[in-house]
Amino acid sequence: MAERVEVDELLLDPIRKTGRGFWIAFVALLGLIAWGAAAYLTQLRVGLGGTGLHQPVSWGFYVTNFVFFIGISHAGTLISAILRLSKAEWRRPVTRMAEVITCMVLLVGGGQIIVDLGRPDRLLNVIQYGRYQSPLLWDATSITAYLTASTVYLYLPMIPDIAILRDNLRGKRNFLYRVLALGWTGSERQHQVLNRAITIMMVMVIPIAVSVHTVVSFVFSMTLQPMWHSTIFGPYFVVGAIFSGIAALIIAMLIFRRVYHLHAYLKPIHFQYLGQLLLVMSLLWFYFTFAEYLTAYYGAEPEEMKVFWSKFTGHFRWQFWAMFTCNFVVPILCLTRLKKNTVPRVLIASITIVIGMWLERYIIVVPSLSAPRLPFQEGSYAPTWVEWGELAGSFGLFSMFYLLFTKLFPVISIWEMHEGRHQAIAEVMGRVKSYLPDQTAPVAAAAREVAP
Amino acid sequence: MMAPQSRLPEAPQPSPGEDRMVRIFQYAIACTPVVFIGGIIGWVTHLIRTSLKLHDVPSGAIGISLVSIPVFITLMCVLLYVLWGILNDRRAR
Amino acid sequence: MTTWGMVIDLDRCTGCQACVMACKAENNVPAVGREEAGKGRVLSWMQVLAEPDEEHEGEVKRFVPRPCLQCDDPPCTKVCPVYATYKNPEGIVAQIYGRCIGCRFCMAACPYNAKFFNWHEYQRPAAGQNPDVSLRPKGVVEKCTFCHHRLQKAREQAAVEKRRLLPGEYNTACAEACPARAISFGDLADPTSEVARLSRSPRAFRLLESLGTRPKVTYLTEGEGRG
Repeated sequence: MAERVEVDELLLDPIRKTGRGFWIAFVALLGLIAWGAAAYLTQLRVGLGGTGLHQPVSWGFYVTNFVFFIGISHAGTLISAILRLSKAEWRRPVTRMAEVITCMVLLVGGGQIIVDLGRPDRLLNVIQYGRYQSPLLWDATSITAYLTASTVYLYLPMIPDIAILRDNLRGKRNFLYRVLALGWTGSERQHQVLNRAITIMMVMVIPIAVSVHTVVSFVFSMTLQPMWHSTIFGPYFVVGAIFSGIAALIIAMLIFRRVYHLHAYLKPIHFQYLGQLLLVMSLLWFYFTFAEYLTAYYGAEPEEMKVFWSKFTGHFRWQFWAMFTCNFVVPILCLTRLKKNTVPRVLIASITIVIGMWLERYIIVVPSLSAPRLPFQEGSYAPTWVEWGELAGSFGLFSMFYLLFTKLFPVISIWEMHEGRHQAIAEVMGRVKSYLPDQTAPVAAAAREVAP
Repeated sequence: MMAPQSRLPEAPQPSPGEDRMVRIFQYAIACTPVVFIGGIIGWVTHLIRTSLKLHDVPSGAIGISLVSIPVFITLMCVLLYVLWGILNDRRAR
Repeated sequence: MTTWGMVIDLDRCTGCQACVMACKAENNVPAVGREEAGKGRVLSWMQVLAEPDEEHEGEVKRFVPRPCLQCDDPPCTKVCPVYATYKNPEGIVAQIYGRCIGCRFCMAACPYNAKFFNWHEYQRPAAGQNPDVSLRPKGVVEKCTFCHHRLQKAREQAAVEKRRLLPGEYNTACAEACPARAISFGDLADPTSEVARLSRSPRAFRLLESLGTRPKVTYLTEGEGRG
């Protein structure tokens, strides 16, 4: 264990020491949160009239943010669960950061719906009088399940690391570590129990995550609004979520790699693989988008075409084409040929994708509401400082949660790195050997002659 | 897997009172799955009962709960298994 | 089973909006003010929609008064998470202001845009308000209720006088106020009522009928033929 700590001492540094950079970041984030708080307090005081919402566009930034932030939460599941399940060894330094994103962003995402309510004081009505015919209740159940599962899936692999912290760090936080380590001693039986639980969780978390963004999409597709009532929404939203999640994860990894000097752990090869995944998701996203719009265009239903043209050439063309550029054009340009300049390419792609995916949610929510079927007052939605502030504050809150997490727990899983060094190599060698043909007599004879 | 070493020589020994506090918190954590997930399951059943009473699409409530309740029960069982499994092994040592 | 419905004769409608004003007065629907109206937040349970003429630019083809269509298969009640909007046994889609959490899902789901939201606290007690209709607080959704409070009053009166409700005793404010008598209101289930007869007219059509909402407000097209 002493060996483990010395080799990975760097990973304990952010917990031991706090530099000036942390305080600058802390104050900056506090500023964003303060802006958000001011915005929300204004909204509580005057009502939702402080936003740019109106009839017919009664959903805008907040619902966009809701879908966007919940979408980003799919980062954790993909990397952590699917890569663990497929025994991809390169996931080791990445899983903790991914799992943390999921938990923190789910809290912020769920909060968006509360911010959107006209009567947040009556939130408990959903618990007391909930109707399961409403997609919002499906959302509530699904997101609760996902939050529970993700928190568990974050906590369980952290237990051995917390034990390391308990044994190596003194100070006020030691009590917290002692409690959370649950008396971990690293015994055979404890490892068995833990690994079994992690295995079950990693299988469970995947369908739960898929269900979450599917039911979020159902909020739109279960209505009769033009270009919302589409059967493709379920898979479309899930693909978009994974897409934006990987991009957000890459950005988080690059930030912490820089400020915590994790270059030895987060190597270009990790970003290369993540970048390739991102490219695949970009192509998948394009495929779904193409299918969606081609179907609408070919059918040429007048009310759908009103919304369609408003996106392609009308009022929303800036956002629509910016979205397309950010989600497809830039990623294709950046993410092919990743062997050189991996990190800058992957960073640019990720930042544009995060912006592009936010625009994609906006393009789904607002245009359909702006062009109602009846000749109503057609509305033009313009967000106010309250909504911008809420977005800034949400982003700040999420980042603050993340930042504080890294001050308490290691952002890269120490025991999994250790396991990778000492067990995984032998395991992988054994696996590859099992794929190849077993030794037959001629091969063995040749080997005996050649081997020293 | 190497067993973890004991604490560094300079680290102070925890007092027995502190030890007990830690243990109380740990057992409290081990009980939260039942409270939390039990509460959720109770809530879902309450919603089923309400929809039956009001004849308001009970099929929706029952359908959703047929999926969600087993998921929550499994989560609770996994949590209880791992939390108590890790906690109790310490005593056995 | 009593089923309240409405028929609006578009051949008679002049677009005068007396129905709109009567509805606002009857149901304490406030004027939101010029600034808020400019932002698109007018509260108007009954609205007269002006359908533009596609052939002649800038001209109005016809006026369509649109209350809540009181659908028999309402898209709005399906999506409400808290039983704040529901269809009562007599077919009126009711709104419970005290339970509404203001999520505006019903507003997003209604294909007729018949629901309205209190973006600010628009309504305060003032002189001249109808005491039979509650004021809505900020943050909740409201819509046309077929003047349900009038039904309750009429039923109470009938109960006191120990008789049944007579046809014509319960009428909505808009139907009463229309100077051209374009709006008829009554019990669709009563085969002798005017509404039941008119809703079976060859001129009858329903808005967005293909969506399957089965609205109980029927329109009569202008002229002789089908709309």
